[in-house]
Amino acid sequence: MDKNIISDLDNFPEEDKQRMSTMADQLQIRDSLRMYNSLVEKCFKECVNTFYRKSMTKQEETCVLRCAQKYLRLSMQVGLRFSDLNQGSSTTDK
Amino acid sequence: MAEKEMEYRVELFNKMTQTCFNKCVDNRYKESELNMGENSCIDHCASKYWHVTNLIGLLLGSGRPPM
Repeated sequence: MDKNIISDLDNFPEEDKQRMSTMADQLQIRDSLRMYNSLVEKCFKECVNTFYRKSMTKQEETCVLRCAQKYLRLSMQVGLRFSDLNQGSSTTDK
Repeated sequence: MAEKEMEYRVELFNKMTQTCFNKCVDNRYKESELNMGENSCIDHCASKYWHVTNLIGLLLGSGRPPM
């Protein structure tokens, strides 16, 4: 994405800026919920393998929490790297 | 927002179904009925999946960075 895109929004009419802001909010909500679902699925698959009882064991809970925290850390790290890489490129074809 | 919530619930149900099927069902498919062991496993799996959903929900909702 072109790094000037955000500042270019200043040139848009107020109505368009409002609409784009709302769209960004909705995308963020949708992606957060998707990430939540993926996180649950991934950590469940990795950590829960026995079904002799309904309740979680202490080990399973610990594993799930560590898995989720690691995933969130990774997500932040990738976000930072992605942002760095994005600064160096633009959407326009060379 | 209600639409997003609905979408999320549907996806949660689908992922739970798929995951518990993979965890509990014998993939040799010797019969079309669920046997007693599979029934019990699915029941426990769904319960645990729900628990994991709540556990991670609390973690995400706490607003604190991962430790």
